[in-house]
Amino acid sequence: MEEVIRLENVVKIYRTGGVVTYGLRGVNLVVYRGEFIAIMGPSGSGKSTLLNIVGLLDRPTKGRVLICGEDVSRMSSKKLAYFRNRKIGFVFQHFNLINRLTVLENIELPLVARGMPRKYRIELAKKALIMAGGDLSWLPKRPNQLSGGQQQRVAIARAIVGSPEIILADEPTGNLDRASAKIVMQTFLKLNRAGNTIVMVTHDPEVANCTQKIYVIRDGKIVAVEEPDPSRCVIETVK
Amino acid sequence: MPLSTFILDVVRLALKSLGERRARALLTIIGISIGPFALVAMTGMVLGYSAYVTHQIEALGQNLIVVSPRQNFKLTNKDLDFMRSIPGVEDAEPFYMVHAKVRVGNEEKDVIVYATSIDLIFKAISGLKIEQGSKPSPSSVVEALVGHDIAYTSTGRQVHFVGDALTITIYKPKHGGGFEVKRVTVLISGILAKFGGAFFLSPDTSIYLNKNAGHTILGLNQWSGILILAKSSRYVPYIVKVLQKAYGNNIDIISFQGIARIVSSIAGAMNFIAFSTGLSAFAVAVAGVAATMITSVMERFREIGVMKALGFTDLQVLTMILAEGLMMSILGGVVGVSLGVAGAYALAARGFVIHGMMSTIVIKAPPKISAGLILRTLGITVAVGLVGSIFPAYKASKIPPAVALRYE
Repeated sequence: MEEVIRLENVVKIYRTGGVVTYGLRGVNLVVYRGEFIAIMGPSGSGKSTLLNIVGLLDRPTKGRVLICGEDVSRMSSKKLAYFRNRKIGFVFQHFNLINRLTVLENIELPLVARGMPRKYRIELAKKALIMAGGDLSWLPKRPNQLSGGQQQRVAIARAIVGSPEIILADEPTGNLDRASAKIVMQTFLKLNRAGNTIVMVTHDPEVANCTQKIYVIRDGKIVAVEEPDPSRCVIETVK
Repeated sequence: MPLSTFILDVVRLALKSLGERRARALLTIIGISIGPFALVAMTGMVLGYSAYVTHQIEALGQNLIVVSPRQNFKLTNKDLDFMRSIPGVEDAEPFYMVHAKVRVGNEEKDVIVYATSIDLIFKAISGLKIEQGSKPSPSSVVEALVGHDIAYTSTGRQVHFVGDALTITIYKPKHGGGFEVKRVTVLISGILAKFGGAFFLSPDTSIYLNKNAGHTILGLNQWSGILILAKSSRYVPYIVKVLQKAYGNNIDIISFQGIARIVSSIAGAMNFIAFSTGLSAFAVAVAGVAATMITSVMERFREIGVMKALGFTDLQVLTMILAEGLMMSILGGVVGVSLGVAGAYALAARGFVIHGMMSTIVIKAPPKISAGLILRTLGITVAVGLVGSIFPAYKASKIPPAVALRYE
């Protein structure tokens, strides 16, 4: 199987005014193409730090990070931006949609960074929204005219519009009610079945149980790898 | 990456961003527009007036030098011969000059009566044309060529015609001060076409008699001065120098070329003052743009993080923030330049009033607004946007995405 993410002994240290804080203490992780994994752990355990490093939003203090076989640990910020744009799609807990732009304009943003002509962007944005379980009638609306669940599906569409290798989701259901969480998880499963590799940070066991593998992180270290229980997935538990 | 597509997107996103913060953007645009407004209005007006005045002076004869004796000095035939002998002098003729009044319909107008070689006047002042009649016959002392405004009232009605007798009330300076009032009647042989402008030695309000009439009709015993016509304008400085050397403080020398140069240099100084004043407004605009853009970047800290997470490079983020500053400055520039053009015309329409001893002159000159002035002003305004936005844009481009995404 092809590796898309490899972390080798990754350490992240934060230094704030002489105070040293360990975000990660030697994390090793391999994610293969087409996998759907969850990273669970209590607050401050290093989940988001791990996701930021995998998502190339932050650099490790020590260790190596390989994305699709390329060592990204020492890449220039320009190259990192290119990698984020082409290889990674982000879904955030708070959606992070821009309310002054329409849904269409939000979805096509990663393609704007590529300099893609508008007519192609519109086509791809429509396909992505349908793939994310959204409705084309949302396209001219502003994100704040949609419900939380709908906004998250728009955010998923934005994450997949550029056909990235990896989708990184940071607590994607954290801001949603159970019904919306179920829909969002159904969307992620559909994307995974379509071949997308998904890494999801969550502290919701019912969400983690929808994935294929659960990594438990504590004090900046992966302390366990658990098998999820699909019968306790939010899709099954919420009727 | 297709740059043109990205630039179009940047412009679109910048306009959307400004649209979201309409009131703030509008106030910043108004702040920016003050600079180009002041620059275009003031510079346009100054250039307009200076072009008008320079043109008026130049039209009065670039080759003409007027020499007039100071008190207790008398110009004689010997002086006339000397002046005619200066290299570069084409001709020199004495003239008599006196202030007078004439009745034109119901109006009483201040005029100047010259008795001199009318041919020399025509050679010196290009653009002088006879509308009706002809020059006085060479031997006549009663025939007069009158300015356009003497034959016509201010409403444009002709009241004096060729062949009419014209009574002139002359105010002749007396020894020991005061004026001696004398009435003389001349016969109009010709009427000059409208020369335009009334700034200096206006032909429109002048009466020209033959040289001999100075003594016989006007009753003047000594020349008011000598008119010297240079062969070309390049000889004028030399002739002036020779005259100054020969006569020192005994004579006053007026060279229209020299006056035109002085006016040009004064206009240049005024233009510089206008430009400096405009630049002060631009400096304030830079601070305004910087404040607006810093606030905008602070408010969009998290959004910038999202953009970076989506793959926007530092340079793209910098370009997007710069574009907002540029859009505001371009809009401010267009508004300011438009208002400046309108303002310059409005101010010019009021006219520039000069209160003189004998009369009040109102100069109404259209502002001189060139494409160069507009482009230069827009260029400075765009630079204002760039300078004001560069620091906030740079800060935004360097925001670490992980930090920005955590920002509440």
